[in-house]
Amino acid sequence: MAFAEAAIGTDTAALDAARARVVEELGPEGLCDTAAIAALFNAIDRVADSTGIPLEEEKASLTETMREQLGINSFGRHGMEGMGQAAE
Amino acid sequence: MALSFDAAPVPVRDDIRQALPNVWAAIGKPGTWLTAEERVAIAAETRHAYGSDCALCAERKEALSPYAVDGEHDSLGDLPTAWIDIIHRIVSDPGRLMEHWYEQVTTNVLPDTKYVELVGVVVCTVGVDTFCRGIGMDAPDLPTPQAGEPVPETPEHLNRELAWVPTLDPHHDGPLQKEFFPGGPPTAAHIRRALTYVPATARSFWEMANTLYLNGQQMRDFDNEYRAITHAQIELVAGRVSALNQCVY
Repeated sequence: MAFAEAAIGTDTAALDAARARVVEELGPEGLCDTAAIAALFNAIDRVADSTGIPLEEEKASLTETMREQLGINSFGRHGMEGMGQAAE
Repeated sequence: MALSFDAAPVPVRDDIRQALPNVWAAIGKPGTWLTAEERVAIAAETRHAYGSDCALCAERKEALSPYAVDGEHDSLGDLPTAWIDIIHRIVSDPGRLMEHWYEQVTTNVLPDTKYVELVGVVVCTVGVDTFCRGIGMDAPDLPTPQAGEPVPETPEHLNRELAWVPTLDPHHDGPLQKEFFPGGPPTAAHIRRALTYVPATARSFWEMANTLYLNGQQMRDFDNEYRAITHAQIELVAGRVSALNQCVY
């Protein structure tokens, strides 16, 4: 988790420390694959947010209870625009 | 110098070693709607926005609404001011991009075709740079813009209701549908459709994404592990990064 946070941040010292920990725990191949995931999601999050794609209905249905319990819907675009509707 | 992982501090998987240099080099080529010079300038500004202490971006990030704060970005100045604002917003506060902003941008600043291609260059730059930074490598040199003109391509059969941007409609039997949704409409997850308005942009992004992540079949195969980290570890990292980026998708 610390590596995920550091990899997308700008704190070089924190990243160096997190990287060393990942190599120690997961090996150099583990570092490569962990960095790959952090990199992809740092990019793909911006694809989703920049293009306005909605969540698929089946995913929304599967996560409905969880999203209500965690209050995630309020962060959806409709919630943020004050329309009081759940994120699609 | 072209991106290479020959001197990487850790072993880099063969598919990443092949794909990321291709994706990086493509930024330096004429695009579908953008020139090579524009594409490289976008990559440069993306990198600058990510690593800089842009005061305007910082103020907007703290504000209740990023649309209530005006000012000038700390930028390289090689692109139109309005393009720089688009790039900085995508880089610094993507989770609060709004449809009304997209509509204003594509009405007043650049057409939706160029917008989608710009997004593609931004996200590929973020992806490549984050990976290099993650494994302890310096960011690669920006590609040198190659000569030539953009090669426009507008797909047939677009859907204009799903997202802010037009996307390829998966419910038609065409070569682009076969390429991007090989398993038919059920495999056309919205994220897979997101950049398809500009097929070359989508192609480049997915060349990067498919090697950094897992392909569709591997993603759902919980009986086997395909990476040095498990499915659970992959999703933990993915979820944490997405939460930090406030991506609700």
